[in-house]
Amino acid sequence: MPTYPQETDRYSLQPKKFIVWLFMISSFIFFAGLTSGFIVYSGDNLAKQLNVKMPDAFIYSTILVIASSISLQWAYIQTKRLNFAKQRLGLWLTIALGVAFTCSQLYGWMVLTGLGAFFTSSNASISFVYVFTLFHILHIIAGLILIIGSIISSYKAVPNVLNIFRMEISIVFWHFVDILWIYLYVFLLLNQ
Amino acid sequence: MATLTLNDTHTAHHDHAAHGDHGHHKETFLTKYVFSQDHKMIAKQFLITGIFMGVVAMTLSILFRIQLAYPDESFPLLEMLLGKFAPEGRLDPNFYLSLVTIHGTIMVFFVLTAGLSGTFSNLLIPLQLGARDMASPFMNMLSYWFFAIASAIMLATFFIETGPASSGWTIYPPLSALPKAMPGSGLGMTMWLISMVLFVASSLMGGINYVSTVLNMRTKGMDLWKMPLTIWAFFLTAIVGILSFPVLVAAVVLLIFDRSFGTSFYLSDIYIAGQALPNEGGSPVLWQHLFWFLGHPEVYIVLMPALGITSEVIATNARKPIFGYHAMVYSLIGITILSFIVWGHHMFVTGMNPFLGGVFMITTLVIAVPSAVKTFNYLATLWRGNIRFTPAMLFAIGLVSFFISGGLTGIFLGNAALDINLHDTYFVVAHFHLVMGSAAIFGMLSGIYHWFPKMFGKMMDAKLGYLHFWLTFISAYLVFFPMHFMGLDGVPRRYYAFTEFESMSEWLSVNKFITWAAILGAVAQVAFLYNFVYSIFWGKKTVQNPWESTTLEWTTPVEHLHGNWPGEIPTVYRWPYDYSKPGADADFIPQTTPLSETMSSNLPHDFEGNEESERIQLDWEKQNKKELVK
Amino acid sequence: MKISKYINTKSVFALIAIIGLFVNNLFAQAAATATTAVVDPEKNAYVPKMVTYYLLLFLLVCIVIALIGKILSVYDLTKKVQGAKEGFSWDKFNGILFLLFLVVGLYGAYWSYTVQGAQILPESASEHGVKIDEMFNVTLIITTIVFVVTHILLFVFSYKYSYNKKKRAHFIPHNDTLEKYWTVIPAIVLTILVLLGFFTWRDITNISQDGIRNAIHIEVTGHQFAWEVRYGGKDNVNGRKNYKLIGNLGGLNSLGLDLSDKSNYDDLTVSEIVLPIGKPVRFTLGSKDVLHSFYMPHFRAQMNCVPGMATSFQFTPRLTTADMRDKVNDPNFNYFLLCAKICGGSHYNMKFAVKVVSQKEYDKWLAEQKPLVTAAMIKSYQESLAQKDTKVADNKIALNN
Ligand code: HEM
Ligand SMILES: [Cu+2]
Ligand SMILES: [Cu+2]
Repeated sequence: MPTYPQETDRYSLQPKKFIVWLFMISSFIFFAGLTSGFIVYSGDNLAKQLNVKMPDAFIYSTILVIASSISLQWAYIQTKRLNFAKQRLGLWLTIALGVAFTCSQLYGWMVLTGLGAFFTSSNASISFVYVFTLFHILHIIAGLILIIGSIISSYKAVPNVLNIFRMEISIVFWHFVDILWIYLYVFLLLNQ
Repeated sequence: MATLTLNDTHTAHHDHAAHGDHGHHKETFLTKYVFSQDHKMIAKQFLITGIFMGVVAMTLSILFRIQLAYPDESFPLLEMLLGKFAPEGRLDPNFYLSLVTIHGTIMVFFVLTAGLSGTFSNLLIPLQLGARDMASPFMNMLSYWFFAIASAIMLATFFIETGPASSGWTIYPPLSALPKAMPGSGLGMTMWLISMVLFVASSLMGGINYVSTVLNMRTKGMDLWKMPLTIWAFFLTAIVGILSFPVLVAAVVLLIFDRSFGTSFYLSDIYIAGQALPNEGGSPVLWQHLFWFLGHPEVYIVLMPALGITSEVIATNARKPIFGYHAMVYSLIGITILSFIVWGHHMFVTGMNPFLGGVFMITTLVIAVPSAVKTFNYLATLWRGNIRFTPAMLFAIGLVSFFISGGLTGIFLGNAALDINLHDTYFVVAHFHLVMGSAAIFGMLSGIYHWFPKMFGKMMDAKLGYLHFWLTFISAYLVFFPMHFMGLDGVPRRYYAFTEFESMSEWLSVNKFITWAAILGAVAQVAFLYNFVYSIFWGKKTVQNPWESTTLEWTTPVEHLHGNWPGEIPTVYRWPYDYSKPGADADFIPQTTPLSETMSSNLPHDFEGNEESERIQLDWEKQNKKELVK
Repeated sequence: MKISKYINTKSVFALIAIIGLFVNNLFAQAAATATTAVVDPEKNAYVPKMVTYYLLLFLLVCIVIALIGKILSVYDLTKKVQGAKEGFSWDKFNGILFLLFLVVGLYGAYWSYTVQGAQILPESASEHGVKIDEMFNVTLIITTIVFVVTHILLFVFSYKYSYNKKKRAHFIPHNDTLEKYWTVIPAIVLTILVLLGFFTWRDITNISQDGIRNAIHIEVTGHQFAWEVRYGGKDNVNGRKNYKLIGNLGGLNSLGLDLSDKSNYDDLTVSEIVLPIGKPVRFTLGSKDVLHSFYMPHFRAQMNCVPGMATSFQFTPRLTTADMRDKVNDPNFNYFLLCAKICGGSHYNMKFAVKVVSQKEYDKWLAEQKPLVTAAMIKSYQESLAQKDTKVADNKIALNN
């Protein structure tokens, strides 16, 4: 039974939410492009494979980013219960965790360069690690901006539909970025 | 939940207010014509920018065609116009390559992707689906402005010291990565890359918007199988774009790192300008994989909207339902899917594993099947039609002709063994100009002639349209047909002059002929441009449905409104191709006419298995027969 | 939606004035540069004259077209006034033009096939090329048939079913049998072509280890904008090289040969590629800087030259240069190698001579070729080795202290 969109749906938020999903798809394709580039590059040539161990910092990052997803989910639940103080708490927590994640990634870079695995390596597999993480961090920043938007709407007492809508968008996107990192990390672990 | 409903009713009210009375909207020149969020205005912006870029790219092609025809002659005028790029009135070889590169880039991306999809997806998706606007009008506006900025940057490269990018529209590294390899790989290439990133951002915003709109904002009754083929084509095109453009960005990002940060993704073992570069381990073939993963779908991004427009125009003007509507949709879907697994046919002789070459050869020739189906369906639609030759129809028929001619040569190029000797020759140039260049341009022109009344409320002059069509059609064949034979003689593309090889000089007279044919084609566009501009301001006013078409866009008033329909959005009851239905009075039945009003012409399959309606129809027929007998 | 509001006589004149000013400026500038650049005055006068001439010609054409348009519409009107049922039928007119286009176009295609088709490459000078040409011909025949038939249908339908007020189109939304046929038949034809192509492609690219060993090994390296060719010499092996060594040995090492590899010393440098007839040759391809493409059209041989990655192409010549001269009836005919991948400004000018001769002539020619590694290079190499030795010794001393 097909449901026909109602005319009043026009300004509603459904199509916009859909846009976020499509954006995530194209952003995932971007990373899929990079990772398949990696595969084509390293191919069957031993000299071109990833020959450094991933720094432990990436494990901490993973834990941080998962924690941030949980805190954001909690904030969302609180929002639905109209518990705005707790919503804000959750959001602030998420932001803190997101920033910590970014720092941890940057620390990971430091560890890598310490190991002599530079961005401008003659083995581009290593450069790929930096590219993956760099563009992932850009996504984290985008996610943080969305969350800040949610915080602002929480403080500004906008209509609750909008508040919830913004929360939903932040959540979906943040989980996506979270999963994206896990995908990249597992990909790197499998290839190192 | 309470707020939700409140909110909804509120927006609904706002609607009525807005459409009942336009004075309430404070529209300044800026919000109406420049930063407009109305899909119809954005469509016009895309169209006019696209036409402008098309004229630029065409002019570039005439410039380099003159060089090919008269390699030994000097044209002082060129020096006047181009300065240091044409010393002594002769094009500089590097600048020749710049012209070719920018010509290709603009034609493929700026004219036939943004100008074509941008215009008609924006115009028709809401209008033919019964939506008030796009899912996100704001993003739609951004999409246009990103495109405009990208265009400006691309053109600006002509004014820099080292000239525009010049390593071909495919910008294969290392040539594109090393400023020392050619002047165009310096600042010009940097700007090319920036421009393309902005362009991709624009395309993605547009494409995401189109998909979301098609899936979420159809009017009542408009299920997927009642959508016009134009919408199917735009929808699938947008999906192809969403799935392939990000890969181009990935490729470009890596190239930027190679150019500016010293990484070695694409660079290895290079000794240039008396110096060995430190880069090692990179692979130029990697770029080709990533580029063609976009590049091949891109040619379908260019072509599919043109095919969609043609389907609509041919059905309307042949006064016949499009033959095999379902087959048309399935072949579009087939092309969409297959277009992602054929990219390797551009790489048969690049050193890619020969086994992969074999695989890509198979997938490539498979994609010819849906294309063949589409062609036959077009022919069957014309068969026993009642064809009105509007200019739009002429261009649509021209498209079918080019699609056949260019598609057939694709069978040669898709064959890895044959491609050994055809790759990078003029045979390729001939092939893609017919199947992608001419066909898509004709689709675009067809669309312009057909929907001009919808866009501007005026009619274009038909006779000038005929003149435009015939000159363009003839000159396109005169230009591109002989190029096949040059390719078969082993003449490579992107050659500044054929003077250095004895065996190529026999093509010089052909080159002169081609150039004059190209000039004829270019001059013919003046007829179009004049017609276009003149008709916008002084053209004859159109009636609401000038082509007697069935689709929804012709139920909107001639004067544009924010929100498209003054009252409620019409409901859709039938598929879009009820032309010349036996038993109906008029030779077209709009999609908005309920089946209950056309009892005399309903056919069993119209009911899609709805038993209730079938019973009513049967009753009606029985009764009617009785009356007839009486 | 009234942009026309902004268009009035005043603004139009303003626009024209601006454009006029701009053009004026342009010419003034051009004149300025022209005078500084000391151009002969004759040329200077010639340009504006030519431009005006063409502009006038164009205007004339426009006027003629406008006149024809006017006459046509007047004719149309009078006919209507006279009570004729209809004016001029543009639908019929375009239908007839399509028919005309079909006839003239098919003749044009035929003319192209025969006249321009006679200018294409002569028969293949390599063995695998014969197979390629055969397949090309099969494909050409099939596609030409489809090309002609579909175009006849397209344009004849256009003519035959052009608009007629009294008629109505035939309502036929689909026909499953027909559609099945025209899906399955192209699929079958394409399958045949694919299989043919697949096997030919495999034969060309899949060469046994033995086949590779027995071929004559020639290495071709592209750079901006020339080719460097070396033959494997007595051992039929092209010695190792490293791009970092390019230009060392006092600038003599143009390929970056690694002289610690003994198989380099017998490699030969040549100024043209000479091949014996009937012997397989294997070209190993490389590039020093950007992509190039090794393309020898007469041999149906093409492969890209990629920096950092050796590619190869193997084939067997079957016609000597002399044979080919007879075939094409041109005593000056010569084979050549060219570059088919854009590589920079002089991409169009990367010619290298190729000759196919009898085995005897080949042997004689080969004996005359000079080794790539010259005495000067060897001397310079030994000097650098000695230097390195002392350096190592120095280091050792330093360590010991
Ligand atoms: C005004 C009519 C046109 C003429 C006379 C023309 C002519 C040419 C010629 C002769 C070349 C090859 C130059 C060379 O290899 O040295 C070329 C390249 C190209 N053209 Fe066109 N063209 C026209 C329209 C188009 C259109 C409509 C498209 C749209 C797809 C297009 C896309 C391209 C592309 C992609 C290239 C390849 C650029 C490259 O090699 O990097 N052209 N054009
Ligand atoms: Cu392709
Ligand atoms: Cu080249």
